[in-house]
Amino acid sequence: MRDAYVVGAGMIDFGELYDQSFDDLLEAAYLNLLEDVDKGVEPSDIDAGWYGTIDFANEGSSGASVAHATGLFEKPITRVENACATGSDAFRNASLAVRAGEVDLALVIGAEKMLDDTAGLIQGAAVERLWRGRGVTMPAFFGMRATRHMEVYGTTKAQIAEVSVKNHENGTKYPHAHQQFECTVEDVQDSPTVSYPLNLYDCCPVTDGACAVLLAGEDVAHEYTDEPVRHAGWGLSSDTFQRGDDLALSNFPASRHASSRAYERSGYGPDDVDVAEVHDCFSITELITYEDLGFCGDGEGGEFIESGAPRLDGHTPVNPSGGLLSKGHPIGATGVAQIAEIYEQLRDEAGDVQVDDPEVGLQHNIGIGRNATGAVSCVNVFDRG
Amino acid sequence: MSGPRYHRPKRQDQRLVAFECQSCGWVSYPERKRTCKGCSAAPAEYEEVQLQERGEIKTFVVQHYLPDDIETPQPVAIVDVPQVGDGEPARIYGLLAESELDELEVGREVEARFRELFDDGDRPINSFKFAVPRGEK
Repeated sequence: MRDAYVVGAGMIDFGELYDQSFDDLLEAAYLNLLEDVDKGVEPSDIDAGWYGTIDFANEGSSGASVAHATGLFEKPITRVENACATGSDAFRNASLAVRAGEVDLALVIGAEKMLDDTAGLIQGAAVERLWRGRGVTMPAFFGMRATRHMEVYGTTKAQIAEVSVKNHENGTKYPHAHQQFECTVEDVQDSPTVSYPLNLYDCCPVTDGACAVLLAGEDVAHEYTDEPVRHAGWGLSSDTFQRGDDLALSNFPASRHASSRAYERSGYGPDDVDVAEVHDCFSITELITYEDLGFCGDGEGGEFIESGAPRLDGHTPVNPSGGLLSKGHPIGATGVAQIAEIYEQLRDEAGDVQVDDPEVGLQHNIGIGRNATGAVSCVNVFDRG
Repeated sequence: MSGPRYHRPKRQDQRLVAFECQSCGWVSYPERKRTCKGCSAAPAEYEEVQLQERGEIKTFVVQHYLPDDIETPQPVAIVDVPQVGDGEPARIYGLLAESELDELEVGREVEARFRELFDDGDRPINSFKFAVPRGEK
Protein backbone atom coordinates (compact mmCIF):
# COMPACT_ATOMS: atom_id res chain seq x y z
CA MET A 1 0.00 0.00 0.00
CA ARG A 2 1.05 3.57 -0.59
CA ASP A 3 1.47 6.10 2.22
CA ALA A 4 -0.94 8.95 2.89
CA TYR A 5 0.32 12.51 3.45
CA VAL A 6 -1.19 15.62 4.97
CA VAL A 7 -0.79 18.41 2.39
CA GLY A 8 -2.75 21.25 3.97
CA ALA A 9 -4.59 22.40 7.09
CA GLY A 10 -7.26 25.01 7.73
CA MET A 11 -7.95 26.10 11.29
CA ILE A 12 -10.39 28.73 12.53
CA ASP A 13 -10.25 30.71 15.77
CA PHE A 14 -12.03 28.61 18.41
CA GLY A 15 -14.37 30.37 20.81
CA GLU A 16 -17.92 31.33 21.64
CA LEU A 17 -18.96 31.75 18.02
CA TYR A 18 -22.58 32.83 18.51
CA ASP A 19 -22.62 34.75 15.23
CA GLN A 20 -21.62 31.71 13.15
CA SER A 21 -23.87 28.79 12.26
CA PHE A 22 -22.78 25.15 12.12
CA ASP A 23 -22.49 25.53 8.30
CA ASP A 24 -20.51 28.77 8.73
CA LEU A 25 -17.92 26.93 10.82
CA LEU A 26 -17.50 24.22 8.18
CA GLU A 27 -17.29 26.76 5.38
CA ALA A 28 -14.67 28.85 7.17
CA ALA A 29 -12.42 25.88 7.95
CA TYR A 30 -12.74 24.63 4.36
CA LEU A 31 -11.83 28.02 2.87
CA ASN A 32 -8.86 28.35 5.21
CA LEU A 33 -7.71 24.91 4.11
CA LEU A 34 -7.88 25.76 0.40
CA GLU A 35 -5.89 28.91 1.07
CA ASP A 36 -3.28 27.02 3.11
CA VAL A 37 -2.25 24.49 0.45
CA ASP A 38 1.23 25.58 -0.72
CA LYS A 39 0.74 24.97 -4.44
CA GLY A 40 -3.01 25.49 -4.42
CA VAL A 41 -5.87 23.05 -4.87
CA GLU A 42 -9.05 23.08 -6.91
CA PRO A 43 -12.24 21.87 -5.21
CA SER A 44 -12.75 19.55 -8.19
CA ASP A 45 -9.50 17.74 -7.23
CA ILE A 46 -11.08 16.53 -3.99
CA ASP A 47 -12.33 12.97 -4.43
CA ALA A 48 -14.08 12.33 -1.13
CA GLY A 49 -14.68 13.70 2.34
CA TRP A 50 -14.80 12.43 5.92
CA TYR A 51 -16.69 14.56 8.41
CA GLY A 52 -16.18 14.32 12.15
CA THR A 53 -18.95 15.56 14.42
CA ILE A 54 -20.99 14.23 17.31
CA ASP A 55 -23.72 16.67 16.18
CA PHE A 56 -23.94 18.07 19.70
CA ALA A 57 -26.23 20.80 18.37
CA ASN A 58 -28.65 18.09 17.24
CA GLU A 59 -29.08 19.48 13.72
CA GLY A 60 -29.12 16.08 12.01
CA SER A 61 -25.75 16.96 10.56
CA SER A 62 -24.47 14.35 8.08
CA GLY A 63 -22.10 14.10 5.11
CA ALA A 64 -24.60 16.16 3.11
CA SER A 65 -24.07 19.06 5.52
CA VAL A 66 -20.46 19.29 4.39
CA ALA A 67 -21.60 19.31 0.75
CA HIS A 68 -23.99 22.17 1.58
CA ALA A 69 -21.29 24.12 3.41
CA THR A 70 -18.55 23.62 0.82
CA GLY A 71 -20.33 23.07 -2.49
CA LEU A 72 -18.72 19.62 -2.83
CA PHE A 73 -21.82 17.87 -4.11
CA GLU A 74 -21.83 14.52 -5.93
CA LYS A 75 -18.78 13.33 -3.95
CA PRO A 76 -18.87 10.64 -1.28
CA ILE A 77 -18.80 12.31 2.12
CA THR A 78 -19.10 10.17 5.23
CA ARG A 79 -19.88 11.30 8.74
CA VAL A 80 -17.84 9.66 11.48
CA GLU A 81 -18.83 9.72 15.16
CA ASN A 82 -16.65 8.16 17.84
CA ALA A 83 -17.03 10.21 21.03
CA CYS A 84 -13.99 12.45 21.70
CA ALA A 85 -12.00 10.49 19.09
CA THR A 86 -14.47 11.59 16.41
CA GLY A 87 -12.16 13.94 14.46
CA SER A 88 -9.09 11.73 14.71
CA ASP A 89 -11.07 8.66 13.67
CA ALA A 90 -12.53 10.54 10.67
CA PHE A 91 -8.93 11.27 9.70
CA ARG A 92 -7.92 7.63 10.22
CA ASN A 93 -10.74 6.44 7.96
CA ALA A 94 -9.83 8.94 5.24
CA SER A 95 -6.20 7.85 5.42
CA LEU A 96 -7.11 4.18 5.01
CA ALA A 97 -9.07 5.01 1.84
CA VAL A 98 -6.13 7.01 0.46
CA ARG A 99 -3.69 4.24 1.33
CA ALA A 100 -5.93 1.72 -0.39
CA GLY A 101 -5.70 3.74 -3.60
CA GLU A 102 -9.44 4.32 -3.78
CA VAL A 103 -9.08 8.06 -3.13
CA ASP A 104 -6.23 10.34 -4.24
CA LEU A 105 -7.23 13.49 -2.37
CA ALA A 106 -9.42 13.39 0.73
CA LEU A 107 -10.95 16.20 2.75
CA VAL A 108 -11.12 15.62 6.50
CA ILE A 109 -13.25 18.16 8.29
CA GLY A 110 -14.37 18.31 11.90
CA ALA A 111 -16.81 20.74 13.47
CA GLU A 112 -18.90 21.16 16.58
CA LYS A 113 -21.42 23.73 17.70
CA MET A 114 -21.28 23.30 21.45
CA LEU A 115 -22.98 26.52 22.51
CA ASP A 116 -26.26 26.58 20.61
CA ASP A 117 -27.84 24.23 23.14
CA THR A 118 -28.25 25.97 26.48
CA ALA A 119 -28.82 22.72 28.37
CA GLY A 120 -25.17 21.80 27.98
CA LEU A 121 -23.11 18.77 28.75
CA ILE A 122 -23.85 18.39 32.43
CA GLN A 123 -27.60 18.42 31.92
CA GLY A 124 -27.37 15.85 29.16
CA ALA A 125 -25.01 13.57 31.04
CA ALA A 126 -26.73 13.72 34.40
CA VAL A 127 -30.45 13.62 33.86
CA GLU A 128 -31.52 11.54 30.89
CA ARG A 129 -28.87 8.92 31.55
CA LEU A 130 -28.90 9.01 35.31
CA TRP A 131 -30.06 5.45 35.50
CA ARG A 132 -27.28 3.67 33.67
CA GLY A 133 -24.54 6.21 34.21
CA ARG A 134 -25.86 6.92 37.72
CA GLY A 135 -25.40 10.63 37.49
CA VAL A 136 -21.81 10.51 36.28
CA THR A 137 -20.93 13.68 34.37
CA MET A 138 -17.76 14.15 32.33
CA PRO A 139 -15.81 15.89 35.12
CA ALA A 140 -16.82 12.99 37.38
CA PHE A 141 -15.70 10.30 34.94
CA PHE A 142 -12.24 11.83 34.63
CA GLY A 143 -12.13 13.03 38.23
CA MET A 144 -12.41 9.42 39.42
CA ARG A 145 -9.04 8.74 37.74
CA ALA A 146 -7.57 11.67 39.66
CA THR A 147 -8.80 10.39 43.04
CA ARG A 148 -7.45 6.93 42.30
CA HIS A 149 -4.12 8.21 40.91
CA MET A 150 -3.58 10.35 44.01
CA GLU A 151 -4.38 7.37 46.25
CA VAL A 152 -2.27 4.76 44.46
CA TYR A 153 0.72 6.85 43.36
CA GLY A 154 0.72 9.82 45.72
CA THR A 155 0.14 12.28 42.89
CA THR A 156 -0.79 15.71 44.26
CA LYS A 157 -3.45 18.21 43.25
CA ALA A 158 -0.65 20.72 42.68
CA GLN A 159 1.02 18.42 40.16
CA ILE A 160 -2.29 17.97 38.36
CA ALA A 161 -2.78 21.76 38.34
CA GLU A 162 0.68 22.21 36.76
CA VAL A 163 -0.71 20.70 33.55
CA SER A 164 -3.32 23.45 33.38
CA VAL A 165 -0.71 26.13 34.11
CA LYS A 166 1.52 24.87 31.28
CA ASN A 167 -1.27 24.60 28.74
CA HIS A 168 -2.75 28.01 29.52
CA GLU A 169 0.71 29.55 29.13
CA ASN A 170 1.06 27.86 25.72
CA GLY A 171 -2.45 28.96 24.76
CA THR A 172 -1.56 32.62 25.16
CA LYS A 173 0.97 32.12 22.35
CA TYR A 174 -1.38 30.19 20.05
CA PRO A 175 -3.60 32.50 18.01
CA HIS A 176 -6.59 30.16 17.62
CA ALA A 177 -7.02 29.31 21.34
CA HIS A 178 -10.33 30.14 23.02
CA GLN A 179 -9.19 30.96 26.57
CA GLN A 180 -6.08 33.09 26.41
CA PHE A 181 -4.93 33.77 29.93
CA GLU A 182 -2.14 32.58 32.16
CA CYS A 183 -2.80 31.08 35.58
CA THR A 184 -0.82 29.79 38.54
CA VAL A 185 -1.16 26.59 40.56
CA GLU A 186 -2.84 28.71 43.24
CA ASP A 187 -5.32 30.11 40.69
CA VAL A 188 -6.25 26.56 39.68
CA GLN A 189 -6.65 25.43 43.28
CA ASP A 190 -8.64 28.53 44.24
CA SER A 191 -11.07 28.19 41.32
CA PRO A 192 -14.47 26.64 42.17
CA THR A 193 -14.69 22.88 42.70
CA VAL A 194 -16.54 21.35 39.76
CA SER A 195 -16.21 17.71 40.75
CA TYR A 196 -13.77 16.99 43.56
CA PRO A 197 -10.82 16.63 43.04
CA LEU A 198 -11.13 18.78 39.87
CA ASN A 199 -11.49 22.57 39.97
CA LEU A 200 -12.76 24.87 37.23
CA TYR A 201 -9.34 25.51 35.70
CA ASP A 202 -8.71 21.75 35.62
CA CYS A 203 -11.54 21.58 33.05
CA CYS A 204 -11.53 22.58 29.38
CA PRO A 205 -13.97 25.29 28.32
CA VAL A 206 -17.08 24.74 26.21
CA THR A 207 -16.16 25.95 22.75
CA ASP A 208 -17.39 26.16 19.16
CA GLY A 209 -14.90 25.36 16.41
CA ALA A 210 -13.96 23.65 13.17
CA CYS A 211 -10.83 22.50 11.38
CA ALA A 212 -10.04 20.83 8.05
CA VAL A 213 -7.03 18.98 6.66
CA LEU A 214 -6.27 17.53 3.25
CA LEU A 215 -4.83 14.03 2.74
CA ALA A 216 -3.12 12.92 -0.48
CA GLY A 217 -1.64 9.67 -1.77
CA GLU A 218 2.18 9.66 -1.89
CA ASP A 219 2.24 9.72 -5.70
CA VAL A 220 0.22 12.96 -5.85
CA ALA A 221 1.19 14.69 -2.57
CA HIS A 222 3.98 16.73 -4.18
CA GLU A 223 1.48 18.30 -6.60
CA TYR A 224 0.18 20.22 -3.56
CA THR A 225 3.28 20.87 -1.44
CA ASP A 226 7.02 20.17 -1.28
CA GLU A 227 6.73 19.57 2.47
CA PRO A 228 4.00 16.98 3.01
CA VAL A 229 3.68 15.29 6.40
CA ARG A 230 3.40 11.51 6.40
CA HIS A 231 0.73 9.63 8.35
CA ALA A 232 3.10 7.04 9.75
CA GLY A 233 0.95 5.07 12.19
CA TRP A 234 -2.47 4.82 13.82
CA GLY A 235 -4.45 2.89 16.37
CA LEU A 236 -8.02 2.85 17.64
CA SER A 237 -9.21 0.98 20.71
CA SER A 238 -11.91 0.81 23.33
CA ASP A 239 -12.16 -0.35 26.93
CA THR A 240 -14.32 -0.20 30.04
CA PHE A 241 -13.50 -0.16 33.75
CA GLN A 242 -16.22 -2.81 34.11
CA ARG A 243 -13.80 -5.43 32.78
CA GLY A 244 -12.15 -5.40 36.18
CA ASP A 245 -8.58 -4.23 35.44
CA ASP A 246 -7.53 -1.88 38.28
CA LEU A 247 -5.39 0.06 35.80
CA ALA A 248 -8.64 1.27 34.20
CA LEU A 249 -9.50 3.06 37.47
CA SER A 250 -6.40 5.31 37.37
CA ASN A 251 -5.48 5.29 33.67
CA PHE A 252 -6.85 4.44 30.25
CA PRO A 253 -5.88 1.02 28.87
CA ALA A 254 -7.57 2.08 25.59
CA SER A 255 -4.86 4.74 25.12
CA ARG A 256 -2.22 2.07 25.70
CA HIS A 257 -3.72 -0.29 23.11
CA ALA A 258 -4.17 2.48 20.53
CA SER A 259 -0.68 3.94 21.00
CA SER A 260 0.99 0.50 20.97
CA ARG A 261 -0.55 -0.17 17.58
CA ALA A 262 0.37 3.29 16.29
CA TYR A 263 3.96 2.87 17.48
CA GLU A 264 4.18 -0.60 15.96
CA ARG A 265 2.84 0.53 12.58
CA SER A 266 5.08 3.59 12.43
CA GLY A 267 8.23 1.90 13.72
CA TYR A 268 8.62 4.68 16.29
CA GLY A 269 8.43 4.47 20.05
CA PRO A 270 7.61 6.98 22.78
CA ASP A 271 11.26 8.12 22.95
CA ASP A 272 11.11 9.12 19.28
CA VAL A 273 8.19 11.54 19.74
CA ASP A 274 9.41 15.14 19.44
CA VAL A 275 6.04 16.86 19.85
CA ALA A 276 2.59 15.64 20.94
CA GLU A 277 -0.95 16.98 20.95
CA VAL A 278 -2.85 14.91 23.51
CA HIS A 279 -6.34 14.87 24.99
CA ASP A 280 -6.35 17.21 27.99
CA CYS A 281 -10.12 17.59 28.40
CA PHE A 282 -9.14 17.77 32.07
CA SER A 283 -5.69 18.35 33.54
CA ILE A 284 -5.62 14.84 35.03
CA THR A 285 -6.28 13.36 31.59
CA GLU A 286 -3.01 14.74 30.24
CA LEU A 287 -1.07 13.64 33.34
CA ILE A 288 -2.17 10.01 33.03
CA THR A 289 -1.76 10.13 29.24
CA TYR A 290 1.99 10.76 29.74
CA GLU A 291 2.01 7.30 31.30
CA ASP A 292 -0.39 5.67 28.85
CA LEU A 293 1.67 6.84 25.84
CA GLY A 294 4.92 5.70 27.48
CA PHE A 295 6.47 9.16 27.90
CA CYS A 296 7.13 8.14 31.52
CA GLY A 297 6.51 5.10 33.72
CA ASP A 298 3.31 4.23 35.57
CA GLY A 299 2.69 6.59 38.45
CA GLU A 300 5.37 9.02 37.24
CA GLY A 301 3.06 11.50 35.50
CA GLY A 302 3.25 13.93 38.42
CA GLU A 303 7.05 13.94 38.39
CA PHE A 304 7.04 14.23 34.60
CA ILE A 305 5.10 17.51 34.61
CA GLU A 306 7.13 18.79 37.58
CA SER A 307 10.36 18.10 35.69
CA GLY A 308 9.30 20.44 32.89
CA ALA A 309 9.64 17.68 30.27
CA PRO A 310 6.31 18.44 28.54
CA ARG A 311 6.93 22.21 28.35
CA LEU A 312 7.64 23.92 25.02
CA ASP A 313 11.40 23.78 25.70
CA GLY A 314 11.29 20.39 27.43
CA HIS A 315 12.33 16.92 26.32
CA THR A 316 8.87 15.94 25.03
CA PRO A 317 6.73 19.07 24.43
CA VAL A 318 3.04 18.23 24.94
CA ASN A 319 0.19 20.44 23.75
CA PRO A 320 2.11 23.42 22.38
CA SER A 321 -1.25 24.70 21.07
CA GLY A 322 -2.51 25.08 24.62
CA GLY A 323 -4.41 21.85 24.40
CA LEU A 324 -8.10 21.48 25.00
CA LEU A 325 -7.70 23.29 28.33
CA SER A 326 -6.89 26.56 26.58
CA LYS A 327 -7.83 26.05 22.94
CA GLY A 328 -11.21 24.50 23.71
CA HIS A 329 -12.85 21.19 22.86
CA PRO A 330 -15.41 21.39 20.02
CA ILE A 331 -15.61 17.62 19.98
CA GLY A 332 -15.70 16.77 16.25
CA ALA A 333 -13.08 19.43 15.47
CA THR A 334 -10.71 18.58 18.31
CA GLY A 335 -8.76 15.69 16.77
CA VAL A 336 -8.54 17.39 13.37
CA ALA A 337 -7.19 20.57 15.00
CA GLN A 338 -4.56 18.54 16.86
CA ILE A 339 -3.48 17.01 13.54
CA ALA A 340 -3.36 20.49 11.95
CA GLU A 341 -1.04 21.60 14.76
CA ILE A 342 1.26 18.58 14.29
CA TYR A 343 1.32 19.41 10.55
CA GLU A 344 2.47 22.94 11.33
CA GLN A 345 5.01 21.76 13.91
CA LEU A 346 6.64 19.25 11.53
CA ARG A 347 6.90 21.99 8.90
CA ASP A 348 8.40 24.49 11.36
CA GLU A 349 5.43 26.81 10.84
CA ALA A 350 4.07 26.89 14.40
CA GLY A 351 5.14 30.43 15.21
CA ASP A 352 5.47 31.27 18.91
CA VAL A 353 4.75 27.69 19.96
CA GLN A 354 7.20 26.06 17.54
CA VAL A 355 9.26 23.35 19.25
CA ASP A 356 12.87 22.69 18.31
CA ASP A 357 13.11 20.97 14.91
CA PRO A 358 10.69 18.05 15.44
CA GLU A 359 10.89 14.96 13.20
CA VAL A 360 8.10 12.87 14.71
CA GLY A 361 4.72 14.07 16.05
CA LEU A 362 1.89 12.26 17.83
CA GLN A 363 -1.81 13.06 18.19
CA HIS A 364 -4.06 11.42 20.81
CA ASN A 365 -7.69 11.42 21.93
CA ILE A 366 -9.38 9.59 24.77
CA GLY A 367 -13.14 9.83 25.03
CA ILE A 368 -15.93 8.51 27.13
CA GLY A 369 -18.91 6.71 25.78
CA ARG A 370 -21.83 4.53 26.64
CA ASN A 371 -23.10 6.56 29.56
CA ALA A 372 -19.71 7.01 31.14
CA THR A 373 -18.90 3.31 31.32
CA GLY A 374 -16.73 3.08 28.19
CA ALA A 375 -13.56 4.66 26.89
CA VAL A 376 -12.35 5.04 23.29
CA SER A 377 -8.91 6.17 22.15
CA CYS A 378 -7.41 7.10 18.79
CA VAL A 379 -3.69 7.76 18.25
CA ASN A 380 -2.04 8.98 15.04
CA VAL A 381 1.73 9.30 14.46
CA PHE A 382 3.32 11.56 11.84
CA ASP A 383 6.77 12.22 10.43
CA ARG A 384 8.39 14.38 7.77
CA GLY A 385 8.25 11.49 5.31
CA MET B 1 -45.56 0.82 35.11
CA SER B 2 -42.35 2.70 34.50
CA GLY B 3 -40.83 3.02 31.03
CA PRO B 4 -39.00 0.09 29.43
CA ARG B 5 -35.55 1.54 30.07
CA TYR B 6 -36.19 1.35 33.79
CA HIS B 7 -38.31 -1.76 33.75
CA ARG B 8 -35.80 -4.08 32.06
CA PRO B 9 -33.15 -4.18 34.82
CA LYS B 10 -35.72 -3.86 37.63
CA ARG B 11 -34.94 -7.15 39.32
CA GLN B 12 -31.18 -6.57 39.26
CA ASP B 13 -31.59 -3.09 40.64
CA GLN B 14 -34.03 -4.05 43.37
CA ARG B 15 -32.54 -7.40 44.41
CA LEU B 16 -28.81 -6.99 43.62
CA VAL B 17 -28.94 -9.91 41.21
CA ALA B 18 -25.93 -10.23 38.88
CA PHE B 19 -24.72 -12.67 36.22
CA GLU B 20 -21.45 -14.62 36.20
CA CYS B 21 -19.78 -15.78 32.98
CA GLN B 22 -19.18 -19.52 33.25
CA SER B 23 -16.13 -19.30 30.98
CA CYS B 24 -14.06 -16.63 32.73
CA GLY B 25 -15.90 -15.67 35.92
CA TRP B 26 -16.55 -12.06 34.92
CA VAL B 27 -19.65 -10.61 36.57
CA SER B 28 -22.20 -8.49 34.72
CA TYR B 29 -24.38 -6.05 36.64
CA PRO B 30 -27.03 -4.85 36.07
CA GLU B 31 -27.22 -6.03 32.47
CA ARG B 32 -28.36 -9.54 31.62
CA LYS B 33 -25.98 -10.31 28.74
CA ARG B 34 -25.39 -13.03 26.17
CA THR B 35 -21.82 -11.99 25.34
CA CYS B 36 -18.94 -11.45 27.76
CA LYS B 37 -16.97 -8.24 28.38
CA GLY B 38 -14.29 -10.28 30.15
CA CYS B 39 -13.41 -13.04 27.66
CA SER B 40 -15.47 -12.07 24.56
CA ALA B 41 -17.31 -15.44 24.69
CA ALA B 42 -20.29 -15.32 22.31
CA PRO B 43 -22.61 -16.77 23.16
CA ALA B 44 -21.52 -16.80 26.78
CA GLU B 45 -23.15 -18.96 29.40
CA TYR B 46 -24.19 -17.03 32.50
CA GLU B 47 -25.32 -18.13 35.93
CA GLU B 48 -27.33 -15.86 38.17
CA VAL B 49 -25.47 -14.83 41.33
CA GLN B 50 -26.50 -12.83 44.38
CA LEU B 51 -24.41 -9.80 45.34
CA GLN B 52 -23.64 -8.92 48.95
CA GLU B 53 -25.11 -5.78 50.43
CA ARG B 54 -21.65 -4.38 51.18
CA GLY B 55 -18.92 -3.22 48.83
CA GLU B 56 -15.64 -1.28 48.70
CA ILE B 57 -15.01 2.16 47.21
CA LYS B 58 -12.35 1.86 44.49
CA THR B 59 -12.45 5.56 43.60
CA PHE B 60 -14.91 8.44 43.90
CA VAL B 61 -15.68 12.09 43.16
CA VAL B 62 -17.93 14.71 44.72
CA GLN B 63 -19.94 16.53 42.07
CA HIS B 64 -20.72 20.19 42.79
CA TYR B 65 -22.24 21.20 39.44
CA LEU B 66 -25.36 19.30 38.45
CA PRO B 67 -28.78 20.27 37.10
CA ASP B 68 -30.84 22.22 39.60
CA ASP B 69 -33.14 19.33 40.46
CA ILE B 70 -30.28 17.14 41.70
CA GLU B 71 -29.00 17.74 45.20
CA THR B 72 -25.36 18.83 45.47
CA PRO B 73 -22.75 18.06 46.57
CA GLN B 74 -23.42 14.65 45.03
CA PRO B 75 -20.75 12.00 45.67
CA VAL B 76 -20.53 9.06 43.27
CA ALA B 77 -18.11 6.12 43.36
CA ILE B 78 -16.94 3.06 41.51
CA VAL B 79 -17.71 0.26 43.95
CA ASP B 80 -16.63 -3.39 43.95
CA VAL B 81 -19.56 -5.43 45.26
CA PRO B 82 -18.63 -9.06 46.12
CA GLN B 83 -20.84 -12.04 45.40
CA VAL B 84 -22.39 -14.08 48.17
CA GLY B 85 -19.86 -16.95 48.19
CA ASP B 86 -16.78 -17.25 45.97
CA GLY B 87 -16.12 -15.48 42.68
CA GLU B 88 -15.29 -12.07 41.27
CA PRO B 89 -17.02 -8.91 42.47
CA ALA B 90 -19.24 -6.75 40.27
CA ARG B 91 -17.60 -3.38 39.53
CA ILE B 92 -20.33 -0.76 39.32
CA TYR B 93 -21.17 2.91 39.65
CA GLY B 94 -22.85 3.75 42.91
CA LEU B 95 -24.40 6.98 44.07
CA LEU B 96 -23.41 7.68 47.67
CA ALA B 97 -25.94 8.88 50.19
CA GLU B 98 -26.34 9.54 53.90
CA SER B 99 -22.59 9.83 54.45
CA GLU B 100 -20.28 12.64 55.52
CA LEU B 101 -18.00 13.77 52.69
CA ASP B 102 -14.92 13.48 54.91
CA GLU B 103 -15.75 9.80 55.54
CA LEU B 104 -15.27 8.96 51.87
CA GLU B 105 -11.98 7.39 50.85
CA VAL B 106 -10.59 4.73 48.54
CA GLY B 107 -10.88 1.37 50.33
CA ARG B 108 -13.83 2.44 52.53
CA GLU B 109 -16.50 -0.21 53.00
CA VAL B 110 -20.01 0.93 52.13
CA GLU B 111 -23.39 -0.73 52.47
CA ALA B 112 -26.22 -0.81 49.96
CA ARG B 113 -29.42 0.93 50.98
CA PHE B 114 -32.59 0.65 48.95
CA ARG B 115 -33.70 4.15 48.00
CA GLU B 116 -35.61 6.16 45.45
CA LEU B 117 -32.95 6.96 42.85
CA PHE B 118 -34.94 9.57 40.98
CA ASP B 119 -38.35 10.24 39.48
CA ASP B 120 -38.87 9.48 35.79
CA GLY B 121 -41.74 11.97 35.60
CA ASP B 122 -44.51 9.51 36.41
CA ARG B 123 -43.23 7.49 39.32
CA PRO B 124 -40.13 6.88 41.42
CA ILE B 125 -37.32 4.65 40.17
CA ASN B 126 -35.84 2.61 43.02
CA SER B 127 -32.43 1.05 43.37
CA PHE B 128 -29.49 0.89 45.72
CA LYS B 129 -27.39 3.78 46.89
CA PHE B 130 -24.32 3.23 49.01
CA ALA B 131 -23.55 4.65 52.43
CA VAL B 132 -20.84 4.43 55.06
CA PRO B 133 -22.23 1.96 57.66
CA ARG B 134 -23.49 3.69 60.79
CA GLY B 135 -21.45 3.29 63.95
CA GLU B 136 -18.35 2.11 62.07
CA LYS B 137 -16.70 5.40 61.25
